[in-house]
Amino acid sequence: MTQSPTLSRRPASSGSPLPRKKRQRGTDARAGYTFLLPWLLGFIALTVGPMISSLYLSFTNYNLFEPPKWIGLDNYTTLFQDERFLQSVGVTVGYVVFGTPLKLAAALAVAMLLNSKRRGQGFYRSAFYAPSLIGASVSIAIVWKAMFGDSGPVDQGLSFFGINLGGWVGNPSMTMPMFILLTVWQFGAPMVIFLAGLKQIPGELYEAASMDGAGPVRKFFNITWPMLSPVIFFNLLMETIHAFQIFASAYIISNGEGGPAGSTLFYTLYLYLRGFSDFRMGYASAMAWLLVIVVGIITLIFFRTSKSWVHYSGDSK
Amino acid sequence: MINRRHFLTTVAIGTASAAALSACGNGSSSSGQTGSAEKPVTINYTWWGNDDRAERTRKAIALFESKNPDIKVNGNFTDFAGYWQKRATEAAGGGLPDVMQWDLSYLRDYGQRNQLLDLGTVKINTDAFEKSLLPSGQIKGKTYGIPTSTNAFAVYYDPAKLAPLGIAEPDGSWSYKEFNDFLTQVGTKSNGALYGGTDYTGVWWMFNIWLRQNKIEAFTSDGKLGFSKDDLKKWWNLTGSLRGTNAIIPEDRVTQLAPKSPFGSNATATEVTWDNFMAGYLGDSGAKELKLVPVPSDDPDNLGLFLKPSMLMVASAKTKFKDAAARFIDFMVNDPEVGQIFKTSRGVPASKTQRDGTTFEGTDKLVVDYEKSIEKYLKDAPEPPIVGFGTLEASFKRIASDLNYGKLTVDGATDAWFKEAEDLIKQNS
Amino acid sequence: MTTTASPTHAPTDTAAPVYNPKSESVGVKRAKSAIFHAAALILTAIVLYPGLWMIASSFKPNSEIGGQNTSLWSNNFSFDNFVTAMDGIGGVSTLQFFTNSLILALGAVVGTILSASVSAYAFARINFPGRSLFFGMMIATLLLPFHVVIIPQYIIFQQLGLVDTYVPLLIGKFLAGDAFFVFLMVQFMRGLPAELDEAARIDGAGHARIFGSIMLPLMKPALISTSIFSFIWSWNDFLGPLLYLNTPEKYPLPLALRLFVDQTQSSDYGAMIAMSVLALLPVLIFFLIFQRYIVEGVSTQGLKG
Repeated sequence: MTQSPTLSRRPASSGSPLPRKKRQRGTDARAGYTFLLPWLLGFIALTVGPMISSLYLSFTNYNLFEPPKWIGLDNYTTLFQDERFLQSVGVTVGYVVFGTPLKLAAALAVAMLLNSKRRGQGFYRSAFYAPSLIGASVSIAIVWKAMFGDSGPVDQGLSFFGINLGGWVGNPSMTMPMFILLTVWQFGAPMVIFLAGLKQIPGELYEAASMDGAGPVRKFFNITWPMLSPVIFFNLLMETIHAFQIFASAYIISNGEGGPAGSTLFYTLYLYLRGFSDFRMGYASAMAWLLVIVVGIITLIFFRTSKSWVHYSGDSK
Repeated sequence: MINRRHFLTTVAIGTASAAALSACGNGSSSSGQTGSAEKPVTINYTWWGNDDRAERTRKAIALFESKNPDIKVNGNFTDFAGYWQKRATEAAGGGLPDVMQWDLSYLRDYGQRNQLLDLGTVKINTDAFEKSLLPSGQIKGKTYGIPTSTNAFAVYYDPAKLAPLGIAEPDGSWSYKEFNDFLTQVGTKSNGALYGGTDYTGVWWMFNIWLRQNKIEAFTSDGKLGFSKDDLKKWWNLTGSLRGTNAIIPEDRVTQLAPKSPFGSNATATEVTWDNFMAGYLGDSGAKELKLVPVPSDDPDNLGLFLKPSMLMVASAKTKFKDAAARFIDFMVNDPEVGQIFKTSRGVPASKTQRDGTTFEGTDKLVVDYEKSIEKYLKDAPEPPIVGFGTLEASFKRIASDLNYGKLTVDGATDAWFKEAEDLIKQNS
Repeated sequence: MTTTASPTHAPTDTAAPVYNPKSESVGVKRAKSAIFHAAALILTAIVLYPGLWMIASSFKPNSEIGGQNTSLWSNNFSFDNFVTAMDGIGGVSTLQFFTNSLILALGAVVGTILSASVSAYAFARINFPGRSLFFGMMIATLLLPFHVVIIPQYIIFQQLGLVDTYVPLLIGKFLAGDAFFVFLMVQFMRGLPAELDEAARIDGAGHARIFGSIMLPLMKPALISTSIFSFIWSWNDFLGPLLYLNTPEKYPLPLALRLFVDQTQSSDYGAMIAMSVLALLPVLIFFLIFQRYIVEGVSTQGLKG
């Protein structure tokens, strides 16, 4: 039987990239390390040191100017009495829990809409990707504030349907929905990856299902979802990690303050403020490592549970 | 045997060691390396600001180089927010530029931690400076910063907005009650189309001025808070009855207008802030003319006003070219031609030599005239604020904003701010 | 799974019908097409509106930007902002900023392509001790917020005397510093049939030849999408240049852009937005040229035996 050329056939169903079936007999350490050399060099020279350094600093009091002072677990214990920290956790979790699935759902829906043999696909693809081209600059903050301000297009659009919320920008309970829409708006990358996955699903499957009288809903759940699950898994993992680390847009839209009323005080924004505005780099490092642990656990859980819902085409052999 | 902690410190790729180095790096007290016209030394100068300042600074540097052929100046610049992250990173790595434009808020953070050169050890002429101004660049007897220019607090208003409402222009002698009434009048007569102003109790420096009007120092000389919770409560209650009315612009509007200020966006009739923001407000609002009057005070003889260095010049503690750095700073703060180049875009020139050598017209003249008009009320500039002042100022603004959002009561806001301030003072002591 | 798409059956870019056209009448097809275009156009309008607003704003005077005016239209449209934006900053021409950005972005593309593909080959195709461990470590580098490694990394480059050069900004790209791309390519290579390199191995080919003559050509689409992503990200990067570059003549666009706005002085929002619009053009062009490969890039459509 031939291999199915499916994207992310096995992003690591067992938490490792090792294919179950060994492609070569034995191991090939020399070739392996030779090819891995660039990454290994970069990892050792530029990444490991700074990572360990930040881990060490998380146990110290370090103000950037004077040598760090060892204080053991103090930073970690202080975190849980810090109201702003707890607020930033709440904000970020809300964003991850609501923003990520919505963004992925939007990306998937649009990808499915574009997955047909019609004219203008290149145009639509470019149009939908365009927002993702724009970097996080002050221009984006100005544009976004205009869109969601009093009597901006969103306000007017909602008023048309009889919903009068006023401007979202200045309303602490509406800034989170605004941020979620901002991330959904920049759905280009996952959309493109979904589209690629969809294109790989053999058309024969749908033809066969049509002959059996399956409707679009059944086709989606019986064919699209399982065939696409490796791609969904990949996007879910990447977008979740990114969502936990949202920084640039948060920094720019709230002018680095996390306002109004702390409603956009995202985790990494608070971490940044602690490290570079308050000069408490030890504290910031503790925040960073706490995030590594939490997101690391979530990543592990993702990999573990993926076995039950992610279907790799090559697994059957 | 290497213990684990020592190992980690070593692996920490110099983070620790570089910081240690920077703490004890300025051993030499000589004037540093000097250059000649044939072999000039090169110093690095960095500033924050917009393209306009970049252009003016380029001219000033060219002038300096033509007058001092033995020194070359490498200029570089970034925006304000990026500026401080870059400086913090450089300081941690032990490599600040030789000469830097500086902000009073950060003078203690860097000065007290041995990052800045004691300018008392090099030759910079300060004869033409007001004696009341220099202490604001000094910490514990050492001079870390020389003010380039000054600014003072003022109430801005746009006469063209008051006239159609039939409101007389203020003359600047007003009590807080009169000021509040004025704000209310604007809000009422315009029927909410124009707000009176922003909630001035959210501005740290205005609070500082009010404290001085009541003869209270904001910080004690040993770096503690000089005022009580009751003082702060009193302050935040000053506009208690105005919040939620048209006298004060609602906080959600302020958020929405940012990064522009409400005044610059033509949403308010007044703004209480530094007088050197004039050019910015004119540009943002498109207004023909803006005017400045003094801040309110309940004691007409004590307005609590002072001149603050709008920016300072500092040098790195580790510069190899102390002499060249000193000559450049001296030139930037004293030279009349530099005054002609910058006008009031850095603030009103602090050195009398420079101020007298500069001709002020239009907007520039407004600012200079304002500072002249308040001369008789001026008191000594405050010492550089405590370590971590930038954080305190930001949290003051943030908590006052929460107060305006109704998320906190005055009592709750006061407790919240004091908790943060006390934490910070404990952290940095 | 019994249904597999062998290389000969692999659906091509144009043959992946969700609906079977043969079973539908011409009328139904037309109606469906109309509905599709209506839906897609409405979505396009919504998605592009903020961008249009941004472009419109670049023609508005400074005092009409931000604040009260949220409409698309202005009675004072002019090119003044573009004139200011093209004027340069502090004696450095705007063209110079563009050139710098282009050098950095192209450098990032070349570096990422070379290093990520080689590293991904090791992870995906070679069996060596410690592979799972290193793979896990690579994923772990995605998890750490970058702010806490800024200072240690800066110290490394400073000690090496590389501050104010492009080296710190590019070396990471040449050393497969971005795990996202390595991971993406690993996934892609795993989708390629193992039979290909097994056959080559029987013919006596080494890893270098398998990688060079079999993998790379098949990976072309993946390499192109990686190029696009890394070009765009490098083009928009602000923090790296801010920290590592001192000389204004070396600044890329995102640094220059910020100098139109200064909280402590006057701000020219019009010029800044105009420059943002101009800065968008190269990425837009880059994307338009290569966009059709993105879809192929992350899949295995290029595989035709």
